[in-house]
Amino acid sequence: MTQLMLQCLLPILIIAFGIVLSLLLIAWRRSQTLILIFTLTIFSVALLASFSLFVNLASDIQVTTLVKVDSYGLFAFMLVLIASIAVSLLSSTWLIHTTEVHDEFFILLQLVVLGAGILVISDHYAALFLGFELLSISLVGLVGYSRDSEFSVETSFKYLVLSACASSFMLLGIAFIYSYSGTLSFTDEPEILTNISNSDSSVGNVFFYRVGFLLFMVGIAFKLSLAPFHLWTPDVYQGAPTPVTLLLATVSKIAMFIVLMKFWFSQAIFVETKSSDENILFLMSIFAIASMLIGNTLALKQQNIKRLLAYSSIAHMGYLLIVLMVISPHSVELAWQSALFYLTAYVLATIAIFMTLQLTQYNHHNTELDVNDWQGMFWQNRSLALLIIVAILSLAGIPLTMGFIGKFYLLNVAVKAQQWWLISVLIIGSGIGLVYYLRIIFVLFSTAIKANNVNEKNNPKELLPLPLTLTPAMNFSVVIIIILSVLLGIFPDLLANFLVKPY
Amino acid sequence: MIAIPLSHILILASTLFVIGFVGVITRKNTLFILMSLEVMLNAVGVAFIGAGSAWQQADGQVMFILILTLAAAEVALGLALLIQMQRRFKSLDIDLLSKLKG
Repeated sequence: MTQLMLQCLLPILIIAFGIVLSLLLIAWRRSQTLILIFTLTIFSVALLASFSLFVNLASDIQVTTLVKVDSYGLFAFMLVLIASIAVSLLSSTWLIHTTEVHDEFFILLQLVVLGAGILVISDHYAALFLGFELLSISLVGLVGYSRDSEFSVETSFKYLVLSACASSFMLLGIAFIYSYSGTLSFTDEPEILTNISNSDSSVGNVFFYRVGFLLFMVGIAFKLSLAPFHLWTPDVYQGAPTPVTLLLATVSKIAMFIVLMKFWFSQAIFVETKSSDENILFLMSIFAIASMLIGNTLALKQQNIKRLLAYSSIAHMGYLLIVLMVISPHSVELAWQSALFYLTAYVLATIAIFMTLQLTQYNHHNTELDVNDWQGMFWQNRSLALLIIVAILSLAGIPLTMGFIGKFYLLNVAVKAQQWWLISVLIIGSGIGLVYYLRIIFVLFSTAIKANNVNEKNNPKELLPLPLTLTPAMNFSVVIIIILSVLLGIFPDLLANFLVKPY
Repeated sequence: MIAIPLSHILILASTLFVIGFVGVITRKNTLFILMSLEVMLNAVGVAFIGAGSAWQQADGQVMFILILTLAAAEVALGLALLIQMQRRFKSLDIDLLSKLKG
């Protein structure tokens, strides 16, 4: 292992080292602020390290057979770190309301980030497996973290059983693919091509490869909550504490999608157009179309904000699947850039909405926030309402926001691949999406229905939500997110040039 | 010694996997659901070892050791949740966990 390789692994090593240090810190002194500050420091240092690595990276670097560091993976890891900094800031406002001990929460959070970091640079099924399991098992712990919540056992049990099922499906898929190709690496030449003289004639049966590919996709689709496997998403989103829901919606989705892209492009399905490969492309477009339609239509009737966001995230993952539909190796770069741009827009908007959700939750004295609880927020807290409006317009893909540019990228990829069906469903889905996105914006401005609420709820505390007082740090981040989403919507070049591989 | 063809091993693994999956879907008792999950994971282990020995590589066995570790971690979490559930509901019936709807 050379010095260069160690340098490439530095962000991951910092996180891993941080976990050990946090354990020591807990043994020394249990203090909520101390562990929070320590976690934030670890994340920021890792962010800086990956940023400097991202700027200076001259080529893809293979570090052992297990991982390969490239600039796309590093960018995704930076997104993961930004999202987890937001999660740790939000969880500090949540944890003071609960009776739980706080230190383990941050350790689990760091473990999730470590898992995501391994996933985004993995180049081998063993690394993929390790990252995947670090991510999911720590997430189960986080999902059920508040033991006094009435939903905690149900939510975490559902998530545990389903993610365990998903990982067994994925593992069986890997075993079948391995039985065909004889290598566990993504990028190595399959041994079946180099070493045909193997005596065992049953090795390398293409049938098992196809079944394995399908099973692997099922496992990934579970984690990305794509349409036929989306049933757990709303329940887990609703039952988990809000910062953990943010973690599920951003970190886990980014990492899984990046690894799906790595796997997909390494299998080079688009290069040789055998009939079976077209079947796989067809299957993926079915996944995408079903996710867009089901996610958007089911979101229409949701009152609970978290459930609404869960369905909207299903639709967004459906949109993102479009980038896999490339037909020539030349478009792979464009596909990566589109996916990363779209993910950035999605992550910023999701962070904004969940931040508002977390901050308004305790003003209403209940944890189950309905869309109507945001009624008239514009008249009470301008900056927070503006944040939601920008975030929602961005999710809906209205021009002058980042989300629009992201959708534009996706359309570009789809047109190049000539996937007309996907384009029409993307447009229809966005149309349906506007209905529930705009409803939230209407609610923010309306004051009329307040009289009805007085009759329904006789609890005087709920009539007048406490005026929101934001700490300067929160105000600052609100302003930053608003500026970023609008600025990158008007000048997308700022980010797009950054995403182009310098080599 | 007669070599067993790889496809037989993979079919055996798939059968075990399906048995485990059916168990996860149909069982009412959460303890049995966890046991069925174990069956699924071990079926994958059989497939990995079979494939590894057919290719004469150690990779399959390495993956199996990783899977064993995963199974242990998952069962630890599952049993912890099971104890929580028993305390709260005084029962292990999975149907009690259906409060979240919408």
